[in-house]
Amino acid sequence: MAAPAPAGQPPSATRTMGDRLKALIRYPETGITVVAIVIAIVFELLNGAFLTSEVPVLLASTAQYGLIAVGEAMLMITGEIDLSAAKIYSTTPFFAFYLSAVGLPWPAAIPLALVGAAAIGWLNGLITVRLGVPSLISTLGMLFLLNGAVLTVSHSQPARTPENFINVFLGGDQQNAGTGITQIAAFLWLVAIALAFTVVLRRTRFGLHTIAVGSNLLAARELGIRTERTKILNFVIMAVLAGFAGIIESCASGSIDPSAGDNTLTLYAIAAAVIGGTSLFGGSGTVIGALIGSFVVASLNDGLPLVGAQAGFADVPLGIAIVAAMILNIKLTALRARQV
Amino acid sequence: MSVDADVPKLVDAPELLRAEGVTKNYGPSIVLRGLDLRVARGEVVALVGDNGAGKSTFIKILSGFHQPTAGTLYWEGREFSLASPTQARARGIETVYQDLALVNDLSVAQNMFLGREPIKRVLGFPLTDARAMRIKTREFLDQVGIRLNSVDSLVRDLSGGQRQSIAVARAMQSQPKLLIMDEPLAALGVREGAHVLKLVQEIRRRRDVSIILIVHNYSQIFEVCDRINFLFLGEIVLDVATSEITEEELIRMVKSGLGAKPAAASNAAGI
Repeated sequence: MAAPAPAGQPPSATRTMGDRLKALIRYPETGITVVAIVIAIVFELLNGAFLTSEVPVLLASTAQYGLIAVGEAMLMITGEIDLSAAKIYSTTPFFAFYLSAVGLPWPAAIPLALVGAAAIGWLNGLITVRLGVPSLISTLGMLFLLNGAVLTVSHSQPARTPENFINVFLGGDQQNAGTGITQIAAFLWLVAIALAFTVVLRRTRFGLHTIAVGSNLLAARELGIRTERTKILNFVIMAVLAGFAGIIESCASGSIDPSAGDNTLTLYAIAAAVIGGTSLFGGSGTVIGALIGSFVVASLNDGLPLVGAQAGFADVPLGIAIVAAMILNIKLTALRARQV
Repeated sequence: MSVDADVPKLVDAPELLRAEGVTKNYGPSIVLRGLDLRVARGEVVALVGDNGAGKSTFIKILSGFHQPTAGTLYWEGREFSLASPTQARARGIETVYQDLALVNDLSVAQNMFLGREPIKRVLGFPLTDARAMRIKTREFLDQVGIRLNSVDSLVRDLSGGQRQSIAVARAMQSQPKLLIMDEPLAALGVREGAHVLKLVQEIRRRRDVSIILIVHNYSQIFEVCDRINFLFLGEIVLDVATSEITEEELIRMVKSGLGAKPAAASNAAGI
């Protein structure tokens, strides 16, 4: 590594440097960015091939967690959560597959499959918001329901992903699936979607209302914000992103696997959102943080085995990171308050 | 308050709001039983009463949250009803709730426009106009004499008085005809409370906005109100101009004339 590590800054920083640092900690993404860089550097130092040869694999996993993490971050900002995300992820490609099998061309089959995902999210939201079932429970129910339905309908057998799906989403044919550009493509989708939702969250009425609903539901109601609609719409966004991630994954792997959406995928995505700076209390969180958090989760999962750790060991630092991130979040909020 | 002399007298001010026989039941419990109230344009009316007298229920009706079980509301002489908070705001009724309805995780400027953000189209997408929100927020705060370091500060980081002032500035921003303030002093210290009363007096001096001030303790607000209405068990039992009565007389009246009832209410509430 030619570039000096950021930790090598002299402690005798100037006043403006200190001010800049202070301004920097106001951004909730700062912490996770530093962590991501440190992890990348450490793995690169331990295994010279980490950044160079592992990038496509790493970015593909980042995309997988990230698309769901973006949805979970939005939903967690409203104060809700979706445990069924991984099952929506495995269900949606089957929607597309069956629609395609009955003769619909991909421009109809894939959007309709995503509408199906949206309907699942809408149902999650409706049960949570209108009937007052905590989202932890309503989406837990949905998790099992979808799992059983997909396994039954597919007879637990994977299906081949239609080739035109792959061409559309990954910019390559099936022979290239799993290599080079096709894996980067999923990550590029994630970056575009994360940037779009950052704008949605910070610069649209819907986004500000999303924060308001999670931060102070009563106030939002008093100001005439349609709180129920805002929450339900975020459940829908979550579901569509999870469904989209499932379709992308089915293109990358070339098969639609009923067991693809393992529940740890949902948990990794929630972990990514949390270590990215999104609070489970609602009101605060960032989409870009969720993206970088996904990179950290992917780095731990893919990177630790590369430097000689057992495959399962990655969950140890991940577990510590989740709790540490939450503590840091609470402390930083207090620190920011003191600065004003 | 010494500034009282500058406040123009209300002479033949037209009626803005009248409530006649407003009743509200929640299931078997009757919260309002035939409440009558009149507010003239530019008038500041204090609505006082013990906990459970029905103050909150009445303002929830005026701000469109609840509909009365019976009774009639008149706005500028014409009968009207409110189906939602949005309708109340559209009519020019702004409410500063006791909880202030501020969102801690949004900035001062974002709170100022929450629920009616100005929109600017960028490449066809309707984005909120952050710059306009900042500039206008600074204007509004200047108008009501509030100084803040930055309108980008999160509301979480402000003091109680600053928060109350921001809530009032927000309510005034749409140039309402009626401003309802629910217990604006309840959570404030003496100095911060005085600042908020000054704000009310400032609005009153212009005589173009009517104010209903919900208070628990009327001695604090005697100076800024034109009339005091005493609400007891869902009815207005006393309606008196502050110019026709001194604070001491009012206290004596409440204790003697109305004495039995309010005392009973206080006991019932366990105070």
